[in-house]
Amino acid sequence: MVNFTLTTATAISASQPLAAAELAHAVGADTAWVVQLVEVGILRIEPAETQPERWQFSSTDLQCALEARRLERDFGVGLDAAALILDLQHEVRRLKAVLHAHRLG
Amino acid sequence: MDFKDYYSALGIERTASDDEVRKAYRKLARKYHPDVSKEPDAEQRMRDINEAKDVLGDKEKRAAYDALADRVARGGHPEGGFQPPPGWDEGFEFHRGPRQGPADHADFSEFFSSLFGEAERRGAARQNFRARGEDHHAAIEITLEDALNGAEREITLRAQTVDAQGQPHWENRTLSVKIPPGVHPGQFIRLAGQGMPGHGGEAPGDLYLEVRIAPHKLYRVEERDLYMTLPVTPAEAALGAQVQVPTPTGGVVEVTVPRNARNGLKLRLKGRGLAGKTPGDLYLMVDIALPPADSDDARKAYEQLAQATASFNPRQHLGV
Repeated sequence: MVNFTLTTATAISASQPLAAAELAHAVGADTAWVVQLVEVGILRIEPAETQPERWQFSSTDLQCALEARRLERDFGVGLDAAALILDLQHEVRRLKAVLHAHRLG
Repeated sequence: MDFKDYYSALGIERTASDDEVRKAYRKLARKYHPDVSKEPDAEQRMRDINEAKDVLGDKEKRAAYDALADRVARGGHPEGGFQPPPGWDEGFEFHRGPRQGPADHADFSEFFSSLFGEAERRGAARQNFRARGEDHHAAIEITLEDALNGAEREITLRAQTVDAQGQPHWENRTLSVKIPPGVHPGQFIRLAGQGMPGHGGEAPGDLYLEVRIAPHKLYRVEERDLYMTLPVTPAEAALGAQVQVPTPTGGVVEVTVPRNARNGLKLRLKGRGLAGKTPGDLYLMVDIALPPADSDDARKAYEQLAQATASFNPRQHLGV
């Protein structure tokens, strides 16, 4: 049997960001874990905004949180190490894109 | 459905200790990580080893799986593939790991879900557990044109349901999704209420679709920016020219190629990339195309160019 549902999608963006609780739910974690990601610099927030209830997150933040969670779960790494791995991973992806742009990769 | 050998997926013996399971998993997870692996089937292999680790890394699931494997080995495979025998998991109780829910298993095989999907759901129900359903993640590949203009796309998801006899089975769920215009690769699209069912009467979770853009014959997409190779003749590059360029929205614009343009020069058309609060740009990468010297006139023209630029040495930096 096939169910058919018409649904309207919302693109996660600056005008429709995720709240901290929504980001936490999306990665199967709690808000305290999101606070830890902010503390180690995996997620970046407006410096003046200290209340987690008022934080806003983008698609890039959701991608970073998902990757941090996989690193933590699959390899047992701490969040500081996850932050370093994610920085290196993003640099590798940027450099690969540059190589690709110059048809070298 | 085939019976899956999780031990061979991780390359370990059935007698492997918990530590050996963990080490084997981590070694393979590094090997097939999408950022480092050059294997064409890396994504599928990652799914297989994640599934194998989920079962063999959990004492309860591993014990139940081993008992089932023994039963299958004694009875052989029935006609039409493997089906778990009724009551195969009696005496075993499955729990979710920390920070782990059914949404983590959404990519796993039908074999896994037929064994553990329903048991996990029953486990949650027995614990009188009330919580909103987990959010579910998937990817959607769309064309550049769809990203620019928005589109309506159908996606089919596999979802597990329980029939009147209490037996789990698979159901295809087709969603017609209205994709808003201006989405870019890596952006997430959220479909409210389309995730995993809630527990104890609570609301279902959401479905997040990660946008991927299919390769395009002209444009390459990087976040909101678009890149296109712009072939020009040596004369256009040397003397400067006005050339016509197609835009992703279907129009044509006239672009100035500056004098003495070199190969690889990047020309920016501001705001001609993907839409957004800050629209992306369209970058044109100049590519000098040499006309072939396949006629007397063309050869003569190259000879005249060689004479006129005799002092130009492109190998000067090589010291020759």
